[in-house]
Amino acid sequence: MRRLLLTVAAATVAAVTLTACGTTEPAADDAKKTAAPITLTDASGAKVELAGPAKKVVGTEWNVVESLVSLGVDPVGVADVAGYKTWNTAVPLKGEPKDIGTRGEPSMDTIASLKPDLVIATSDLPPAALQQLRKVAPVLEVRPGDAADPIGQMTKNLDLIAQATGTTAQSDKLKQGFQAKLDQGKKALADAGKGGAAYAFADGYVISNQVSIRPYTSGSLIGGVNEKLGLKNAWTVQGDEAYGLATSDVEGLTKLGDVEFAYIGNDGDKDSNPFAGVLAQDKVWTSLPFVQKGNVNRLPDGIWMFGGPESMNKYIDSVVAALTK
Amino acid sequence: MAVTAPTAATRPSSITSRTGAAAVTAALVLLVAGLAAVDITQGTASVGVPEVWRALTGRADPGDASVVIASRLPRMVAGLFVGAVLGMAGAALQAVSRNVLASPDTLAVNAGSYFGLGLLAVTGASLPLLASSGVAFVGGLAAAAVVLGLSGLGAGTVRLVLAGSALTLGLSAITEGLLLLFPQQTAGIFRWNQGSIAQHGFDGVLQMAPIGLVGLVGLLLLARRVDALALGDDAARGLGVPVRSTRVTAVVLAALLSTAAVTLAGPVGFVGMCAPALVRPLARRFRGFTRNRASLPVAGLTGAALVLGSDVLLRAVVRTDVAVAVPTGVVTSLVGAVFLIVMAIRVKDTATAAAVDRLRIRSRTVFLVTTAVLVAVLVGVIVAAVLVGDSKLLLGDVLNWAQGRAGRTTTFVLDTRVPRVVAALLAGAALALAGTLVQAVTRNPLAEPGILGVSGGAALGAVLLVTTVPLAGSWSVAGAAFAGAALSSVIVFGLAARGGFQQNRLVLVGFGVATASAALVSLLIILTDPFNATKALTWLSGSTYGRTLPDVVPLAIVLVVGLVVAVARRTELDLVSLDEDTPRLLGLSLGGSRFGFLLLGVLLSATAVAAAGTIGFVGLVAPHAARALVGRQHHRVVPVAVLLGAVLVCTADLVGRTVIAPAQLGAGLMTAVIGTPYFLHLLVRSRR
Repeated sequence: MRRLLLTVAAATVAAVTLTACGTTEPAADDAKKTAAPITLTDASGAKVELAGPAKKVVGTEWNVVESLVSLGVDPVGVADVAGYKTWNTAVPLKGEPKDIGTRGEPSMDTIASLKPDLVIATSDLPPAALQQLRKVAPVLEVRPGDAADPIGQMTKNLDLIAQATGTTAQSDKLKQGFQAKLDQGKKALADAGKGGAAYAFADGYVISNQVSIRPYTSGSLIGGVNEKLGLKNAWTVQGDEAYGLATSDVEGLTKLGDVEFAYIGNDGDKDSNPFAGVLAQDKVWTSLPFVQKGNVNRLPDGIWMFGGPESMNKYIDSVVAALTK
Repeated sequence: MAVTAPTAATRPSSITSRTGAAAVTAALVLLVAGLAAVDITQGTASVGVPEVWRALTGRADPGDASVVIASRLPRMVAGLFVGAVLGMAGAALQAVSRNVLASPDTLAVNAGSYFGLGLLAVTGASLPLLASSGVAFVGGLAAAAVVLGLSGLGAGTVRLVLAGSALTLGLSAITEGLLLLFPQQTAGIFRWNQGSIAQHGFDGVLQMAPIGLVGLVGLLLLARRVDALALGDDAARGLGVPVRSTRVTAVVLAALLSTAAVTLAGPVGFVGMCAPALVRPLARRFRGFTRNRASLPVAGLTGAALVLGSDVLLRAVVRTDVAVAVPTGVVTSLVGAVFLIVMAIRVKDTATAAAVDRLRIRSRTVFLVTTAVLVAVLVGVIVAAVLVGDSKLLLGDVLNWAQGRAGRTTTFVLDTRVPRVVAALLAGAALALAGTLVQAVTRNPLAEPGILGVSGGAALGAVLLVTTVPLAGSWSVAGAAFAGAALSSVIVFGLAARGGFQQNRLVLVGFGVATASAALVSLLIILTDPFNATKALTWLSGSTYGRTLPDVVPLAIVLVVGLVVAVARRTELDLVSLDEDTPRLLGLSLGGSRFGFLLLGVLLSATAVAAAGTIGFVGLVAPHAARALVGRQHHRVVPVAVLLGAVLVCTADLVGRTVIAPAQLGAGLMTAVIGTPYFLHLLVRSRR
């Protein structure tokens, strides 16, 4: 033990002295400042000052990343790049952003080494982490969602990000496109006699041999879009304040009654699709009225349920296609 | 452990006690049946008593009938099954190891199974239930074998729990690490980890039932031999009982039973320890239960009542759609913890204090060399921790930073990294010191802030505050953590004080409080912030993420005070830790200083939790290792333990931040991964 400690100590000291001298970055010099400054107020009420439209942007949540890509700004850093690529193919990343770690604990070091002009984060990050990020770059904090007005919150976030990156024209175009898509979808559904149809959207996962179902209530972004499409949300359970998500099990589905049911799974994530998997054998599932009538619709993979207008456009297309088929 | 051994007292009326035993069994059966009946009327579907009745009599509409048949009944049966097998497994393990604390939880069987399943989940292979339970069985059995092998069959409680909790911590840390590395494959497994009896259809139960049956029949066949073991190994051998093979068979069967439970429902905590503990006082009342053949099924029944009762209670108390989100295991842990504490107080603790570890006397030179080496290692680790990370720095950067001339990136990296390094260092040192103090005061080698529930109480206090006041400052978090720690230590030490801090009572009560607080923390996070895995990680397993220098100020102050007191009062510490009588013979009353040391220990662990979450292990490992290295005098133990603690947590934090960068693992997880092998090595070495 003691010999081991001794060796370790000697080795560390030697290694440190041999390799650790010098610097990786020259001492600070005075940066040059140009362009018209931008001042914004973010979700935390803080003033965010930018020297000009941000070009090198880091996004810590996928909804923010999607908005950035939609606005034509390729983020330089994205949390969990592989996960984003699995779950959001509606708005694929264009460049090769640096992976900044997990969405819950993005790496401060990596973000700092990217020297971003702006970090866009959601209030899901711990306050202390947000405070630290403010030291590396201006931080635009956005609310991840608002169950009281999910679509409003999404567009508000989009606008804020657009202002910070000087892409308001593009954001107006996205919003118009989204509105047009909503109107179109609503009309298509009404024409097919599905106006006011009872509809329930969920996702689910299997852990060990147990199934969890996650209902998307009216407070979720998807739920908000459903209502704009003229569909009636059949979930009666209460969702959380930010995302409008609830928790349920297979039994809970019996309260839905005779509805149109839709879900999104992911082929890249086996456990994310109980509906086509383990539930096929489940008597509660198979005796549900909407299952017996074949009103279960799997929507295409890669639509991020918490994303921005482009994901939602894709969602509208796929719902309309599924319900009017 | 004398508690499990049948009391040789002669009871005159064996006939009345036999009817008594029958009556008790009948009452238990009725209770379980009643709970089962209530359980099938509860759930998220609006299927209540009338619908269930109609379904059972075949007159319900098909929807309701399917809910009863495919969801309620399987859940009820799973509850029965899981409770029964865990209860029996616990009873068998306690009997063969002659140890009241032996259970699937303490023998790391659950952790081993969980690890096996976690590995399986990560490989992405999707195996049928039976095959995956095979993996879980191998994992669980291997873990139990390691724990029993290290602690020695039939050896003291202390070693068993030490080895078991060490391996549990280490294995679960690796599993949790895997889960963090593969979050997509393992989404929601945090909840699974708590154990839930919900089922879809009878498939799972039907596939596990034969395993349970094999285990039960096997144990019943083995029961007579196990009874003989209670007489002691030599006496049993004298009766012609093959001691070794009996033990091995019983452990294998018990592992098989717990595997069935884990595969079906995830680790439902505490049932395996509680059910036999509840049966034990019965065995003293009614001699019929002293035989394993009778007590095994009764322990099974009690286990079933515990699991079903917890499920019923949860669904009765909480709104249905919320109840779905709360795993049954959280409730059994809470219920079990309360029972355990009550039992611990009532149990007559006949165990003597564990044999003091036989330590070689170390010379002064050894102490000086050890300290010097540790200081060098610490310096090396600190330098490495500051330089290495996602972005590697060099010493010149640090120099620039210290002089305020560093570039933007370097400044930021160091501004965020240095507080984390400091938090890890101080938390490690504080936990080690707290462990040293508490072990000295209670003269209990198991007394560690984590195991005694002090850290758990602190985490609970901190989480309560953080949930209600999102922008709480570092002083108020430290204050809330201290309030929680103080409350839990008042409970633990208050309850254990009766009869003078006896080994088992202290550890049992502490273990109960630790489990209860961990369950409450999980419950709070699930109920208030279900989608926040980071929060759960920070408070349940320790993380320095997002720490700033002001956050560690309370910890730094308390640590300095603690060190000063420990050094100034080193002689008292030596005396206190010696035995009950020597100080008295010397005419010293140590009541006051005992209380002071204890309070200091609580303060240290509370501030450490506030700064870095609950980091297990350090408070246990560091003082042990320090005593092994430099002997037991506190003027040597304190500095060495503190240095070791700081090195351990700082290394853990460094590794956690770098191995899977830019993603990261909590320091607590890494502490367990690094600490486990060393600790097990220590156990092996100290075995004579």
